[in-house]
Amino acid sequence: MINSRTLTIAILMLLFFTILIVKLIDIQVFKSEELKYFAQRQQTRWESITAERGRVYDRNNLLLEYNRHDVTYSVDLRMLKKSGKKKIAQKFSEIFGKDYSHYMNLMSGSKKMVVIEKKVNPETAALLKDFKVEGLKFDEDPSRVYQYGRLASHVLGYVDETKHGITGIEKSYDTELFGVCGTKLVERNALGQIIAVSQEENYPAISGSNLVLTINKTYQEILEQELKSGIDQYGGKSAMGIIMDPGNGEILALANSNDFDPNIYSEFALDDRRNRCISDTYEPGSTFKAFTLAALLEENLVSINDKCFVENGTFRFKNKIIKDTHPDGWLTVKQVFEKSSNIGFAKLVQKIDNDKYYKYLRGFGFGNFTSIDLPGEVKGKLKKPNLWSSLSKVYMSFGYEVAVTPIQLITAFSALINGGILYQPFILKKKVDDSGKLISENSPTAVRRVISEKTSQIMRDLLIGVVKNGTGVNAKLDDFNAGGKTGTSKKIIGTEYSDTEYNSSFIGFFPAENPQLVCLIIVDSPEKGKYGGLVAAPIFKEVGNRIIQSDLEFFQDNIKPNTKSDNISTENSDENNSKLNVKYVSNEFKLKERSEVDIKKNLMPDLKNLPLRDGLLILNYLNVKYKVNGSGRIVYQSIKPGERINKKSLCILNCEEIKVNGTQVY
Amino acid sequence: MLALRIDYKLNDRFDLGLFLPAILLTIFGLAAIYSATINNLNASGNFTKQLFWGIGSIIVFFIAYSVPTNTFRLVTIPSYLLSLLLLTAVLLIGRRVSGAKSWLDLGMMGFQPSEFAKIGTVLALASFLSRKNTDIDNFRDILFALAIGLIPVALILLEPDTGTSFIFLGFILTMIFWKGISLFGLFVVLSPGIVAVSSLFGMYYFIGSLIIVAAALIFFRKDIFFSGSIFALNLAAGFFTDYVFKALSPHQQKRIHSFIDPSADPLGAGYNAIQAQVAVGSGGIWGKGFLNGNQTQLQFIPEQWTDFIFCVIGEEFGFIGGIVVLSLFLILFVRILRLITSAKDEFLSLTLTGIFSIYFFHFLINVGMVVGIMPVVGIPLPFVSYGGSSLLANMIMLGIVANVYRTRKNYT
Repeated sequence: MINSRTLTIAILMLLFFTILIVKLIDIQVFKSEELKYFAQRQQTRWESITAERGRVYDRNNLLLEYNRHDVTYSVDLRMLKKSGKKKIAQKFSEIFGKDYSHYMNLMSGSKKMVVIEKKVNPETAALLKDFKVEGLKFDEDPSRVYQYGRLASHVLGYVDETKHGITGIEKSYDTELFGVCGTKLVERNALGQIIAVSQEENYPAISGSNLVLTINKTYQEILEQELKSGIDQYGGKSAMGIIMDPGNGEILALANSNDFDPNIYSEFALDDRRNRCISDTYEPGSTFKAFTLAALLEENLVSINDKCFVENGTFRFKNKIIKDTHPDGWLTVKQVFEKSSNIGFAKLVQKIDNDKYYKYLRGFGFGNFTSIDLPGEVKGKLKKPNLWSSLSKVYMSFGYEVAVTPIQLITAFSALINGGILYQPFILKKKVDDSGKLISENSPTAVRRVISEKTSQIMRDLLIGVVKNGTGVNAKLDDFNAGGKTGTSKKIIGTEYSDTEYNSSFIGFFPAENPQLVCLIIVDSPEKGKYGGLVAAPIFKEVGNRIIQSDLEFFQDNIKPNTKSDNISTENSDENNSKLNVKYVSNEFKLKERSEVDIKKNLMPDLKNLPLRDGLLILNYLNVKYKVNGSGRIVYQSIKPGERINKKSLCILNCEEIKVNGTQVY
Repeated sequence: MLALRIDYKLNDRFDLGLFLPAILLTIFGLAAIYSATINNLNASGNFTKQLFWGIGSIIVFFIAYSVPTNTFRLVTIPSYLLSLLLLTAVLLIGRRVSGAKSWLDLGMMGFQPSEFAKIGTVLALASFLSRKNTDIDNFRDILFALAIGLIPVALILLEPDTGTSFIFLGFILTMIFWKGISLFGLFVVLSPGIVAVSSLFGMYYFIGSLIIVAAALIFFRKDIFFSGSIFALNLAAGFFTDYVFKALSPHQQKRIHSFIDPSADPLGAGYNAIQAQVAVGSGGIWGKGFLNGNQTQLQFIPEQWTDFIFCVIGEEFGFIGGIVVLSLFLILFVRILRLITSAKDEFLSLTLTGIFSIYFFHFLINVGMVVGIMPVVGIPLPFVSYGGSSLLANMIMLGIVANVYRTRKNYT
């Protein structure tokens, strides 16, 4: 009896052993691979290494934005013991000055992971360096820091949680700034702590490029301050301002008075984050007269001393009444412009036919993107001649029935005064790597010649006249001459022109003799003094004066007109003209090779193999007359490269069509 | 010639087949503890502690081995009463470790009374069952035997230490069974337990098990009053379990649920069960090598050096290592079973049966839990798991077995 019971026990025992062994074989032999995979999956993980986002500097290498290596603390509630919670709450309340119970409450939820302190700056994080509790985790959580807060906020833009740019250059150069993510294979323990990083499977991230902008921080600051004090002084909804180098399209400052702090962008209305300078259009009003006049002059349809009767202030044209603010009788074209007579322009513009007028306006870039390297640009509105009413041209001549962006206007205006070449505006000067080595430099892009150098010169003089004795007297600078044009346009509210709300603007340049800067100021609906000459011009004046004061030497050097350089001997010219060295990059043909030509003011460049259009652009820039035989690429130039040239030089160019790899280029 | 004779004599008095597997398991355990704690700052001293406990335990083993066999009979009542005293004391002044008040602090080191209560209870039960006038089929004697066993169980459940009380139930039933209880008696003892477990699975299982009990009662053809009271007992067991289950702490309830469906909450209560299987399974046939088990070294299983020590062996020494450990246990068990049948004294045989059951149920629940055929119940693997009191108690019991082997020929 006893033995049979022992036997029963023994049999049950052996049965259990058999089950155990079967089960062991099952999981250690048959399911082993599957479980190994499972184990590896939970023990190791491919982690992405975020590249260090590039820093951004102004044109004088002043740091505008960088990354701060913040740390975020979180706890794994599954691993955290009660004593650990107390320790953490104690320490954190000590360091961050929050209540002990605040942290205890955070750690009492039913979630597995709880963030208890976000984005702790590195100095504070250093205090917690030796504080270790099982279940407490920390992760690097870098913050983008905009050194000067609101400064140039619309230019810089901001990044979202994922560290990708949303607006501004953060967006347009996101790829360059972001860099290339690396990956690493890490072994983690049950707490999620990284135990080891695989040496073989480690691909480091490539840091983003650092960007040097064309922005001048000092100018930007001045512009922003003056726009704001302008709003304070004259009232108004908002103000915009752009400062540009007319000679190459570099944006030196760009501001909207309704700005935001990119560090805490979410606290600002979307409306304030919009870059109105490139995303909003307005009807420019009288500033547009400059382009009308330039077209008329270029076509030799008027000359500045022609007389024009301006109807004593009221003119009925095709059943519409056009009015001037200051009634006058007979005026010269120059006076029409200086006094900004609408009637005068209504009459003058009749001399140019619709298509030609349209061609010039298109030539100045209206109704098209300027292709500035900032996101959110709009085209504006320039109607095609076949859609014009009988009055369209009249209204357009003084800046109505046409919608432009501020950036379009200043870009076109630059072409007006720089000798007639339209440049593509840009904001990125160069990219440099971490050690400061140049990666690439952005060169100015000449889009096209719009008017001749001569017309440009006339326009410059006319615009100087406007400031000297026309509507722009309030823009007169203290130490330098300036030129410019006022503009006052009724705003369209709904579908009607408002009688109470205006866009008051002034666009001007200085030093008058050799323009270095163009500055556009627009005030939206000022409350005191609606006219551009009374509102925007004084702001321009303040901006101009302060900028000159900040950079006095530079402006004094540039007051002399550049024609002087003709008389300087060759020996000195290299030194003196170093500033005039322009790198010319063809943008017109997206060939694999880009043509680059070094241009020195007095020396003939090598034009061989350049597309004819590019060659002509360069010769225009150098003021050399030319004759062209054939079309296509330049195969011969009569003046040899390196020879001295002057205004009287005539260069003969022979061109041929060249086929490249079976593809016809021309 | 001389050497041979001494060899023979030694073999005759000392069963290496009993001692060696235990020692090898302890060494295996030390290696696994070393591996499991080397990367854990909180447990880095455990290997050394276990080593000293091991040495101390072997000394105690030899003491238990050498004392006159009659000693065990003499210490039966004192040791049982001492066990009850300690189990009561631990409820009053014990230290709470991970939910259970099961530790008594004795100066430098902690000590688990429930480990020693096993020995006291086994001796007491063996003593009662081997009395000349005990009739195992007598209802009153069954109740008395159950009372001897269930008083410590009740005290242990109050700690609460469910795992250890399972062990007690296991060896109590095995001893009563070995004593020669009739099929009906066994049914009376077991059926409330089966009904109780069934009730955990839900209403339908509970009703189903009651129907089976009713059918069995008809089969046994006892008088209606007796059958009725047995049925009532079963009914009560079911409701009582339900009551106890609801009174259990939520984490214990979760553990029971997670055994029924371990993947339902992979990061919660079922976490250990899944991680244990992953560890053992990923070891494959040959294992990942000593100190190379990622699952162990990365601490995916909490406190792996105690109840989940078999994972370390499974992961680092693979199927081969697992089989070695299982074989050592098998040798140990077979040796004890053989001794049980050859021992002439019923008290000693019952004591050995109790000791065997303690080892075996520890082994069964522990390894079963690790490979996923048993619920997660926190009890150590004999000789292998970290734990001083447990190792000491196991070595004392092994000493008793070896003692019985030494003097087995004295009882004829």
